[in-house]
Amino acid sequence: MHDKQFLRETLLEGAQAFQAGRMQRRTFLALCGMAGFASANVLAGRAEAAAGEIVMWNWGGQSEQCHTSAIGNAFTAETGMPLKFDTSGPLQGKIKEMVDSGNVTADVCDADLFDAVALGKTGHLEPIDYTVVDKTKTIDGYALEHGISIILYGYAFMYDTEAYPDGAPTSWADFFDTAKFPGTRSLYKWANGSLEAALMADGVAKDALYPIDMDRALAKIKAIKADTIYWGAGSEAQQMIVNGEVSMGMIWQNRGRSIEMETNGRYKMVMNQALAMPGAYIVPKGNPGGPAVMKFIATAQSVPAQLDLFACLGMTPTNPEAIAALAEADQPYSITSAANMPGIALNDPTWWGENTDMAVNAFLEAIS
Amino acid sequence: MTPARPRLNAGWLLVLPLLALVVALFLGPIVNILWLSVTDPEPGLGNYAALFTSDSLGKILWTTLRICVICTVISVILGYSIAYAMVHAAESDRKRMLSLLLVSFWISVLVRTFSWLMLLGRNGLVNNGLEAIGVISQPIAFMRNELGVLIGMVHYMVPYAVLPILASMQAMDGRVVSASRSLGATGAQTFWRVYLPLTRPGVVAAALLVFIINLGFYVVPAVLGGGKVLMVAEYISVQVLITLRWGTAAMLAALLLFGVLALLFLMSRFMKLSTVFGGART
Repeated sequence: MHDKQFLRETLLEGAQAFQAGRMQRRTFLALCGMAGFASANVLAGRAEAAAGEIVMWNWGGQSEQCHTSAIGNAFTAETGMPLKFDTSGPLQGKIKEMVDSGNVTADVCDADLFDAVALGKTGHLEPIDYTVVDKTKTIDGYALEHGISIILYGYAFMYDTEAYPDGAPTSWADFFDTAKFPGTRSLYKWANGSLEAALMADGVAKDALYPIDMDRALAKIKAIKADTIYWGAGSEAQQMIVNGEVSMGMIWQNRGRSIEMETNGRYKMVMNQALAMPGAYIVPKGNPGGPAVMKFIATAQSVPAQLDLFACLGMTPTNPEAIAALAEADQPYSITSAANMPGIALNDPTWWGENTDMAVNAFLEAIS
Repeated sequence: MTPARPRLNAGWLLVLPLLALVVALFLGPIVNILWLSVTDPEPGLGNYAALFTSDSLGKILWTTLRICVICTVISVILGYSIAYAMVHAAESDRKRMLSLLLVSFWISVLVRTFSWLMLLGRNGLVNNGLEAIGVISQPIAFMRNELGVLIGMVHYMVPYAVLPILASMQAMDGRVVSASRSLGATGAQTFWRVYLPLTRPGVVAAALLVFIINLGFYVVPAVLGGGKVLMVAEYISVQVLITLRWGTAAMLAALLLFGVLALLFLMSRFMKLSTVFGGART
């Protein structure tokens, strides 16, 4: 199945050339015919041509521009290798498909650290070369064999200040208390973060969340099911809040930061008990750019790159030096700042890496 | 005067690249999916056995089936009414109606889905309007539930229902209606005993088409269902992309495929499929 994408591209280009009159009908037909069996041979050449550049697989939107300015420019200046992008979103299933097909076109994925655990175990990732990448430039425990956390994102919640004029919610316990704080809420659809929030609301200490007690978490989730709707994408979460569909909503903390700024504080984010998620760089097995990608990851750990990622995307740095260098005004939005850290729960990538399938399916069954 | 045989061969040669493409790009992946469904995570029929043992799979399939059936019934009834009105409208009106229908047919499903949110959402036009004139005090929950999914799906499917029904109505000889009336049947009798039976192929085609497309709905339930309406297409996507249970996903995909084929086979027992998809000629 590895020729799918290549075939599509070739035929598309051929068709465009044919339409524009740059290619004769006969050549085009021949191309169509050959595409059926010739692709495997062409592919080998293509991968070779790709070496000499680093392809980053991220989630599109602003991140392409931000990754270029924060990491790409410095990396290219140092190594002469350009940084290119695939913005289709490196979900676990897509990485697995890419590696299994033998046609690996990405060098580094902007993924989750639990992906490093899950896909590392099944042999779909290259190990991180810790002679190039620095283990000490991240949070303790977030430098794993097959991935290292470069930034933190997080699950916090926001509320509409007009919905709760006398007394704002301050914790997940308030979020799950529909008697004291009536109104619709929103949670993340794919279990991640929602389970931890439910446990904290139920009184579990933030350091004792793992291994997750699924029954306990799901019971709490189900208890407010009638008042909850669920989002699957960051943009959806944002719409639910600013369109007034919910009075309180779980949100990725970097998005919450921009909503709070854009609405002049009408919607306020609660950072207490937010769950810090290690966003990690992982390398698909057999990446075309080879070991040079480790240099790229090291560049992303540098203080200027980390500060730039925060300014551009709102992602919290993991390098302790960069954390210390954050401006005073940025501290409230940095998960790891001195003020926030005491209230923050840290995600356990190993538990999620080993239990994602069970947790997501159980969660879906509970909410549907 | 070329003999028939070589001409046939030349024709096949022209078709060959396309045939090769279809085999390579269409049949290949399908076989791969079927293969996955009996080999991942371990060889055997374990994925299919889960259909009978897993409550959550049963629930998802039941939700999908229920919503598809309800949506099909509503879409076909609405489609029939619209087609009926179109056939009996003046030529210029019919053209206008058809272009309106086609415009909605061509608008992307994403755009429509989000438009429904703006119209019928909690702070949408309708709820705000009703609240402003004092009809309701609490917003009505049109969206982010099963009702929302049905509204979105029916709206998407009505054009698909209208077109085959319209074709069969237009192909019908209008004089049979006059004949029925002249023989003393009332309007209602003529409709139930002459008009409806003669347009049945169109209705069956519309119902089949709508039902089959419904089975694969992804965007509408995912967005308008607010996470609470989990249909099989979304579940397959989660199993492929997030939980990596490709065997389960492949099994469900195979189930959908064979479900659709079985449906077509069943219909072919009762009527010629070519009739259903080729208009009303018999």
